[in-house]
Formats: sequence, structure tokens, C-alpha cells
Amino acid sequence: MALFIEDNAPVIVQGMTGHQGMTHTGRMLNAGTHIVGGVNPRKAGQEVTFHIDETDKDLNIPVYATCSEAKEATGAKASVIFVPPRFAKSAMLEAIEADIELIVVITEGIPVADTAYCVELALQKGIRIIGPNCPGLLKLPESADASDKGINLGIIPDGIVSSGPLGLVSKSGTLTYQLMGELADIGFTACLGVGGDPIVGTTLVEALQQFEADDNTKAVMMIGEIGGNAEQDAAAWAKEHMSKPVVAYIAGFTAPEGKQMGHAGAIVSGGKGTAQDKKNALEEAGIPVGKTPGQAAQLLREIVNGGTPQA
Amino acid sequence: MDLYEYQARQLLEEQGIDTPHGIFAQNSHEVAEAADKIGYPCVIKAQVRTGHRGQAGGVKLAKDQDEAILSSEQILPMTIRGHKVSGVLVAEAKNVLHEYYVSISLDRSSRDFDVLATANGGTEVEEIAKEHPESVKRLHISALEDFDIEAARKMAESIGFYHADVDQAADVLLKMWKCFKDNDATLVEINPLAKIGDPDDESTKKLCALDAKISLDDNAAFRHDDWKRFADTSHTDLFEERAKQHGLHYVHLKGEVGVIGNGAGLVMSSLDAVSGAGEEQGSGVKPANFLDIGGGASAEVMSTSLSIVLSDPQVESVFVNVYGGITACDEVARGILAALDELNASKPIVVRFDGNAAQEGLKILKDADNPNIHVSDTMEKAAAQAARLAEPGKETN
Repeated sequence: MALFIEDNAPVIVQGMTGHQGMTHTGRMLNAGTHIVGGVNPRKAGQEVTFHIDETDKDLNIPVYATCSEAKEATGAKASVIFVPPRFAKSAMLEAIEADIELIVVITEGIPVADTAYCVELALQKGIRIIGPNCPGLLKLPESADASDKGINLGIIPDGIVSSGPLGLVSKSGTLTYQLMGELADIGFTACLGVGGDPIVGTTLVEALQQFEADDNTKAVMMIGEIGGNAEQDAAAWAKEHMSKPVVAYIAGFTAPEGKQMGHAGAIVSGGKGTAQDKKNALEEAGIPVGKTPGQAAQLLREIVNGGTPQA
Repeated sequence: MDLYEYQARQLLEEQGIDTPHGIFAQNSHEVAEAADKIGYPCVIKAQVRTGHRGQAGGVKLAKDQDEAILSSEQILPMTIRGHKVSGVLVAEAKNVLHEYYVSISLDRSSRDFDVLATANGGTEVEEIAKEHPESVKRLHISALEDFDIEAARKMAESIGFYHADVDQAADVLLKMWKCFKDNDATLVEINPLAKIGDPDDESTKKLCALDAKISLDDNAAFRHDDWKRFADTSHTDLFEERAKQHGLHYVHLKGEVGVIGNGAGLVMSSLDAVSGAGEEQGSGVKPANFLDIGGGASAEVMSTSLSIVLSDPQVESVFVNVYGGITACDEVARGILAALDELNASKPIVVRFDGNAAQEGLKILKDADNPNIHVSDTMEKAAAQAARLAEPGKETN
């Protein structure tokens, strides 16, 4: 079974014609992602032109009215959603109804009740949502074949890392990039941002399950932050089921009680969801927790190859 | 957004849940007027966004107007667990026969909604829940389903509401659910949900929400124009207000090092690094704020951010930590210089760039040749340097 999704899967972008959608569709295409269409009912039938640097050629991507139509025409297996918060629920529902296998929701600011509804519906239909409020999924090429470009779904920058034995899962975008940079000498199978909202479609536990089942992944870096119990749940699951080493980093030890720290889900309330509680739970489950991102990277490097940075 | 009790009561009343008659008041003159209207004895309750205010002396019973005024003069200037009291609720005193606890909340782990209830409500509910977890009943509601009268009745029966109360309790639970759904709440808690009335007269007994806590989902504000009435103008932090006007995520803290970065996680991590450095250096220096410039920030956003942070008199040094993904470090560098030009600021700024256009950004800073700008190649080193520079009378090279 492929880790999350197969590398060359056809992908559509909901909200492709907006500013963010245009920018990142261009980026994803240049990273080698097989984008086959956009969705926007008001621009259906049009085409959007993107420049591909590698071949120095223009590529025209058609716009469809609905996800179902796009899927019928292209066989799309994944969708990346960039639409504004107030339209996000109907965008997610449309993708679920079209039986898109993997839905990556980048949008920040979606009401949690909308997310809860869509996530539950997706779970019942066996569809995976990643996010919302996340940087998405970057898969590095599984094979050495030059035609395998991996897959880049969302906004994770291309070119920081190459293929290697590590999996990365994170609640935070920039900390994902930070740790990718720190561990670029070893390389990754996949880097996944699960998102910073109180309810997300793929939890830390579900990401660990994927990495545990993937033959190419040998060890996992997990990045958490204050709020909720996802890290504690992950610690409990890993203790029982995980055969591969996991190293963690947690952000927010200095966050004050009752203040939302940027992400909608990053809040300590009623003394619950503190970084210290998470660290304790992880360490009790045998998962080392780095004090800084750099230290966490070093802990994982020691486990994987004895601690020497690779050339 | 956490509501004050007097605001939470409004939302419950709109659903038809009984609450004692109450009036919000912000000075002793208003309190005297309100107390006369409510009648005596009445309760004077601090309106503050934190729990356990009773133990802190924030709730007092008044037998007459003099006592009401005296109590309000004690309560109004209070700060309870770091939260300023915004006013008092003057409410009818009720004859309480029994106290229940009921809440509906978002369950992040099971990704659904939780109805929690116990027959042992009141101020000790947390301790009782710890000692007798079996007394707390929990019901999960799937995000695809509704909470109906049958489920509400079953829940009411399982809690152990006295037999005659089951119908009323089920009615309250249903109304709470409607309040939760209609208002995009993440928490609706009534504690205590009290049985009140004359112990000898069955017909006077009923359930009444004596205290309530409601949290609303800020992300849903776009579909609730009526939330404007809950805006708290009296106790907003000026810096937080200014940042909000510019669409920035800012949290004011109590330390000396201003922290600016891109992405909530990286900024939280930067705060931890500054605190850690302050501890290691023995100075106890701490972060002064959290400020996330977001993804793809322009030079203008960076410049605005830096001027907000530098306008805070408690800030002694600033740590700018950017890992360029969508954000380009050269834009950030231009923003830093623009702010410094405009403000003529002399406080030291330690910059760490990595990722997108980091080299270009560092070159822009180097070319500017500003003695107040320091550059570090890792976030750990940068945090340590910013912490050292925030110590009065200390300089580093």
C-alpha cells in the first residue's frame, strides 16, 4: 500500500483560480505533481496557463464546474483545497461526494463545526482528509527512476530535502520546514503537516499508523504543540503498536494559560493541553523529546546513524 | 472567545433556559440601582474570564443596599488569577435545593461533541469528578447526528436527576444543545444547574441555570454579526488591539525580548528558546510577545510588525526568526530596514533567516550596515544572543 497516496496520482485543485491557488498550483506543477484540473463553477470551461521551468514550456490546466465533473474527466485521486473559510465546507463536501481519495485542506479559519461534520463524513466513506489549516503533504520519490517526482500537495517548499528513511509529521508548517532543513542530510519518505486546528482529518496517531505500515520509513520525527491531546494519544498508540523509533519536539512551553497562540487549536485551557503534559506522556511512552528543534533532530540522527551528519 | 457570565446568560435565555433575574453593573452607583431593582438578598458576582472566583472572594451575598455597594467596591477593582474584573452581575439570590453540573463541548480527541453531566455540581465539581469519576456521565454526539429528546431523556435519567426532574432536565439539555449548535460554541457549561424553590412546596421547584460558561469559535465570527455585542472594549491590550487591526496574530507577554517569526509553531518554539536561554544565562530574561507574521508576508507586514513590537516599552531586544517557505527572507529584510528607518529605533535586533531567499535577505541586512542589527545562523544561537542583549547593561559582540 502506498504511503498516503501513490506518487504520480492525478490531482485537482479547488480554488485554483484564486491568488493563493494560482501561486501554489504553479509551484506544485514545477515540483512534478501531476495536476490535471482546477474547480470553479464560475470559470468552468476556461484554461489556466502555467509555466514549467524545467522544460521551459507552458502548460494549460482546464477548469471544471464541479469535483465530480473534474473526476470524471481526469480520474483525479486527490484534491487540494485553497478556497476561503466560508466556502470550505461545501468544497470539502463536494470532494467527498465525488469520492476523491485524499483531500488536502490548506485553508485557515474554517469553523470547527464545519470541519467536524466533513471529517466524520469522510471517515465513514473511507476518504482521508488532511488538515485543515495545514501545509499539506510532501512525498519524496519512492523509486530512483527519474520519472518518479514524488508528490507535493499543498504549500511545503520543494527542494529542501530528498528521499531518505525518515517520516515527519507536524502540527505546524514552519516547524515542518525547520526540521526538514535540520535533517536534510538523512532525507525523508514523506513530510506531513496535519494542521493546527482543534479537529483535523488526519491525526498524529493516524500519521504514525501510515509510517509504521510503510516499508521505506525507518524512523519518525513528530512535532507537536500546546492544545488538545493529540500528542498524548500518539504516545499511547506508539507505546502499544509502533516498532519504529519516534523522536518528538513540542512547542509552547512558555505559552500562557487561556491565550490562543496563532493556531486555532494552540491553546492551554483549564490547565489542560500544556507542553509539559505532552512531554511527560511522550517520555513515559519511551519517545525522547528534544528541547529545541535542533536537539530533536540530533536525537533522531543518533538513533538512525549514530549521530554523524551525512555528507 | 470566552464570554462573561452575564453574556453567556443572554444566550441561554434566548433558548428559553431559566436564569435568575440579573443586571450587569460597572460602578457602585449602577450596583445600588440594580440591587434595588432585583431586591434583597441579592448576589454580587465578579464578571471575569476565569473560574474559581468564589474562592477568590469574587462572589458575595448582600442583604441590603449598603452591603451591595460595599461588596461591589471590594470586587470591582479585583484581578483574579491574572484576569481583571470587568464588572459585576447583580443577581437574585435563590433557595438552592440541589446542584447539578451539565456541559456540552467539542471533543478534540474523538472529533465529536460531548455531553457531560453529574448530579454533584457546584464549586467542587472538579474534585468530585477526580474522586468519583463514575458519577460523571458522558455521551458522545457524532458530528453527523443530532441530539434528540430521547437521547436527552436517557442522559437525564442516567445522571440521576430526581425522578420528577427528568422531563425538565431533558428539556434543558436539548436547549443547551441548540444553544451550542446555533451559536457555533465550543463549550456551553451550566454549573450549577440548580434545583430551586420552596422545599415544602413541590409546585415551586424548578431547574435554573445559576452560573454559565460559554466559549464561541472565533473562526465562525463571519456568520454571527450579533457577536459584536460581546466585544470587550474595556480590557483590551493596546498592542494586541493594534496587531489585530493589521490581521496579525499577537499575544502580549511579560518579558523583555520581542519575538517575531513566521508560522505559529516556529514563533512558539522561538519563545521557548528565549526563555530557555534566559534561564541558562541566569538572567531570567523572557519573551515580551508572540507575533506571527503569517505565510508570504510582505516587507510592509514585517515593518508594521516590528514597529508594534518596538513600541512596547518593556521590549529591550528583538528576535526575528524566519524560515522562508512561501515567505521570502529578502522581503522580511526590507521590512526590518523600513521600520528602523521610520522609527529611528536603537534597540538591538537579532535576525535568523533560513530557507527561501535567506542569502539575499542576509546580504540586504549586511549592506545596510546598521550596528543595531545582529545576525545569527541558528535559532538557538539567535535566541541566546537576543536574551543576552535584553539584559540591562550587557552587550555582546
